[in-house]
Amino acid sequence: MMRAWAVALITFKEGIKNRVIFGIFIIALLLFAATTLITTLFMRDIVKVAVDLSLSTVSFAGLLTLFFVGVNLFSKDIDKRTIYMVISRPISRSQYLVGKFLGLLLLALTVGFLLGALSALPVIMSKRFYYYTEARFAWDVFFIAVVYIFIKLAIVSSIITFFASLTSNSFMTLVLAMVTYLIGESTEGVRSLLTSGIEAQTVSPLLSSLVNIAYYVFPNMSAFDLKTQAAHGLPVSLAYMSWTALYALVYITAVVAAGTLFFRRREFP
Amino acid sequence: MRALLIAILVLALALAANAVAITKVSRERDALKKEEGTGLLFPSSIAKIIALEFKGLVADALFSRAQTFYGGKLMRKEDLSEEEWSWIYKSADTATDLDPYFLDPYYFGAVNLAWEANRVKEANTLLEKALRYRTWDWTIPFYLGFNHFYFLQDNEKASEYLMEASRRPGSSSLMVDLAVKLSYKVKRTENAIIFLENILKRTDDEKLRREYETRILALKRLLYLENGVAFYREKFGKKPKGLEELIQRKIINEIPADPYGGAFHLDAQGRVSSTSNFMTIYTHK
Repeated sequence: MMRAWAVALITFKEGIKNRVIFGIFIIALLLFAATTLITTLFMRDIVKVAVDLSLSTVSFAGLLTLFFVGVNLFSKDIDKRTIYMVISRPISRSQYLVGKFLGLLLLALTVGFLLGALSALPVIMSKRFYYYTEARFAWDVFFIAVVYIFIKLAIVSSIITFFASLTSNSFMTLVLAMVTYLIGESTEGVRSLLTSGIEAQTVSPLLSSLVNIAYYVFPNMSAFDLKTQAAHGLPVSLAYMSWTALYALVYITAVVAAGTLFFRRREFP
Repeated sequence: MRALLIAILVLALALAANAVAITKVSRERDALKKEEGTGLLFPSSIAKIIALEFKGLVADALFSRAQTFYGGKLMRKEDLSEEEWSWIYKSADTATDLDPYFLDPYYFGAVNLAWEANRVKEANTLLEKALRYRTWDWTIPFYLGFNHFYFLQDNEKASEYLMEASRRPGSSSLMVDLAVKLSYKVKRTENAIIFLENILKRTDDEKLRREYETRILALKRLLYLENGVAFYREKFGKKPKGLEELIQRKIINEIPADPYGGAFHLDAQGRVSSTSNFMTIYTHK
């Protein structure tokens, strides 16, 4: 485990040194600044709009970091041939891959923590500006939502790790991870659309079973989206939190474990 | 040296041409936008899927687009067509499907649809959705109660909604009072004034405020005349033939003007009403 941790730290340092991170931070800060301007377009639910914008910015910046910095951290080792140095050391391939994943996780944690803390600022400002008496907002739900953004980023990290273990092409990893993220965000919606029957169209059994398979194979990202709850101070039950956290944990474990299986058999050019 | 001069010349020309081009483009864009009118709206079930994890954000954008469109029409002093009102209603409906707790589209839809577009049914559909989700907010059943009382003249339903409002936290003690009063069919005008004064207190939209204030003024004058008629009946045991009779009998000094531009008179049933029907009589166009 110590060896994996060493790989994780190197990966994290390499990632945080990347100039792209600065760009992403600047975009995030600009979006936070824009929040206070945009909220003035609304009449009453101003704090809700500020929360929507802030939390979406945190999530978006986290995704950008993982997709555009995280993905490259895997291919770099192979492109620059530094992987030979690593695999010739007394460290197993599984440990290496787990270490890489943990490094990505640290990166996601840092971005999530920093931006999550900063995202409170536009909310505080808009709250001072105007707070409608019948609005509901609670800081505890807000920060629970931030934690869930991090959990979602952790799942995305595991997906990137998985695809990076399959293919050495970083562009392929990027596309596959993005598609997985998009599917993961929409399976719940598509499934409820098919089962609701509002569309009054007969769905072919093949399609509905495909959707069902997708629902179980791909991560249900909607479960980690608590932005609406944060925006309106709606309570999130302890059972919800424990089950979703457990789901994330077992999903990540399964995906990273599957990744190590492929990575063992990988041949390097 | 020559190459540098040419480069500078080309840059200067391009910048000048750019300034001309962008003004042309903005004019063309404005013309195009006017033709386009309202924007594309996906059905809620599809919008929910393509909004990914940014449902709240998409709801904000959809609603803000409708609101800006309405504001632009207001600035240009144009009336909205039926299709445009439908589009505004659908925007508010989709926005609140994406985030069913979002107050602004409910409020905007409910108030403007009912008062300006005469679409009370659609306003109430939005408010009914709000009632299911914003379970802590007493203003939602309050507005529903008002719409039922004032526009639909369904006192029983209105009373039920006001009772619901009174059960929710933060509501004023006036709710129960109003709810009880509504069960008496009389005093319609008085109740409407109390209702509207309460709504006025919670309104910051200038145009709506003016509308409410005019309506309250009209209702107060109506009440004044109604009281005069009631007094006449009590005193003489019969209905007056016209409002002028009230002046002749020195019950009132004058017939007040209808702020909507109509004239107060007694209708065939002996009730006070106005030729304007409390709708603004437009003189322009």
